[in-house]
Amino acid sequence: MGIVSRGVRNAFRNVIRTGSIVFILAISIAMALVMLLSLKSVQSKIDSVKSSVGNTITVSPAGVQGFNGGGDLLTTTDLNAVGSLPHVSKMTETLSDRLTPGTDTTLTASLTPGSFGNRQQSRAGFGVEGGGGRAERTFTMPIMVTGVNDLSVAQALSINDLKFTSGSAPDMTKDANSAIVGMDLAAKNNLKVGSTLSAYNSNIIVAGIYDSGNRLLNSSFVMPIAAIQRLSNQTGQVSTAIVQVDSIDNLNSVKDAISSKLGSKADITTSQERTDQVVQPLENIKTISFYSLIGSLIAGSVIIFLTMLMVVRERRKEIGVLKAIGASNIKITAQFVVEALSLTVMAGILGTVAGFLFANPILNALVTSSASGGNSGEGGPRGFGGGGGLRFSGGVGGVGNTLRSLHAIVGYDILLYGALAVLVIAVVGSAIPAFLISKVRPAEVMRND
Amino acid sequence: MLKVEKLKKEFKSGDTEVKAVNDISLSVPTGSFSVIVGKSGSGKSTLLSLLGALDKATSGRIEVDKQDITGLGDNQLIKYRRNKIGFVFQNYNLVPNLTALENVMLPMEYAGVPAGTRKERAEKLLNEVGITGDKQKRKPTRLSGGEQQRVAIARALGNKPKLILADEPTGNLDSATGRLIIDLLRQLAKDEKTTIVAVTHDEGIAKLADKTFTLKDGKLVS
Repeated sequence: MGIVSRGVRNAFRNVIRTGSIVFILAISIAMALVMLLSLKSVQSKIDSVKSSVGNTITVSPAGVQGFNGGGDLLTTTDLNAVGSLPHVSKMTETLSDRLTPGTDTTLTASLTPGSFGNRQQSRAGFGVEGGGGRAERTFTMPIMVTGVNDLSVAQALSINDLKFTSGSAPDMTKDANSAIVGMDLAAKNNLKVGSTLSAYNSNIIVAGIYDSGNRLLNSSFVMPIAAIQRLSNQTGQVSTAIVQVDSIDNLNSVKDAISSKLGSKADITTSQERTDQVVQPLENIKTISFYSLIGSLIAGSVIIFLTMLMVVRERRKEIGVLKAIGASNIKITAQFVVEALSLTVMAGILGTVAGFLFANPILNALVTSSASGGNSGEGGPRGFGGGGGLRFSGGVGGVGNTLRSLHAIVGYDILLYGALAVLVIAVVGSAIPAFLISKVRPAEVMRND
Repeated sequence: MLKVEKLKKEFKSGDTEVKAVNDISLSVPTGSFSVIVGKSGSGKSTLLSLLGALDKATSGRIEVDKQDITGLGDNQLIKYRRNKIGFVFQNYNLVPNLTALENVMLPMEYAGVPAGTRKERAEKLLNEVGITGDKQKRKPTRLSGGEQQRVAIARALGNKPKLILADEPTGNLDSATGRLIIDLLRQLAKDEKTTIVAVTHDEGIAKLADKTFTLKDGKLVS
């Protein structure tokens, strides 16, 4: 029988005590694991949020308010100057237009005005005819069309995800009479991939049908920006540009540079504030997780250290005997390390299972408490405002959605780090007291007992 | 041959300096059974601890098998204890969660004896001390005091030591069992050509010794 089997057997000398220690240690390990998972998940989410919404700048024509006018659209020349600025990694341009069914297009709108739409249009002075004391509503919803040069940047359409139910997107950088159509509009007009729709007195081929998860966008269609510019006689004009910056750290400097280039022509807003709103609760969770992780590791280390200190002190005489019959300090230390490892491995297995079981509930509890102060729930439709054209907002989710989508991420690296932490705790926690006691002269410990 | 020259062990107890072993010189012939007697506190156990390198002397010289152990470092002392000394304690001091056989095998494991050889030798030694069959697989708590001391003797002989140091080996046993243990110890020492030095209060045992040393207040008086 070697040191290993002796160490393992020693771990079970007192089953009740072993059980208690393993249970307490397992709680500490489970907590450390949960916090490690939380840290990783939160960090991953922060990175994701920062990379997706944190490093963009929206450039809109100054003073333009939806389709109500109030300014001049941006031009390609303006934006070329922006695109050449340092740290600008990508720029997505959009041009929005609205088509009046029956006049600009043969399509029928899939949206109805509703009470809100009718009230707004009545105030605007049209859409209501008097007749025999009864008002007749004549207002019909326009059909929105958006031109973009890149579908991959979500902010261009202000949506999280664009899923194609059939077909696919055409090359948005080319000037072609092709479009992708929202599923509601397609259903209303019985459009399929390959169908032709009529707008701007031109025939446009349906290349794909999408579901954006947004009713307004599902009731519109999207075309290459060059095609919209040509068909709507707005050549070289852009209603919004989404400028992607290489790093969130350069956001403000690029914003200043754009302001300097475009002057009073453009309203420039960064996603910094929106990002901060989303990231702040995540940072809170990260801080809580970090300190809890450190606390759990310290608690685990202290538990195993005190346990082994107690065990070693209890067995001082035995250690003296072992030294008397020829055991070296290293062998005595190793035996106690194995004993501590046995306890820790048992606790580690229990703690890991418990950690995985409770990771998401605890993470949710952290999210709930952290988000309660900052869940502004940014998002939701903003109507037709902003950017001189169609802006479908609410796509980036907001704080609540971001936190709700937070789940513990379990990876091999986590397990590896966890196992490493457990080993370090066990080795350090047991080796120190065992080594200290093994340095004592046998006569001393045997005499004192 | 065990040779001790001007051995001293002093330590402080509060403000008082205690001379537990005071200038002791003695020699014990190889293969003999020697006994150290004296009243409680006379320094018998301290002297035994010094001989077994369980403690360090303040000054003086201890020579065992022509090796001076007083100048050895910690690691060398461990080797010395492992290879040249066998201990038998009053309270047996067996490892409680190991079987009798495992207890006897333990010093041999520390000495690097291969597993097969140590098991074989441990069984042989246990058979010689009368612990046979199923008893070899019992843990100490399931053995009587006499049986535990037999196991301790077998353990002490495991690495064929030059010197066996026994501290009150019969102190916890009735006189008949004690006598049996001493006879066993002497017989095995003879067979294994080992020198035995035992500390005892028992005058009956002292009479059986080849040589008796009497201590009083840390000094050798006879």
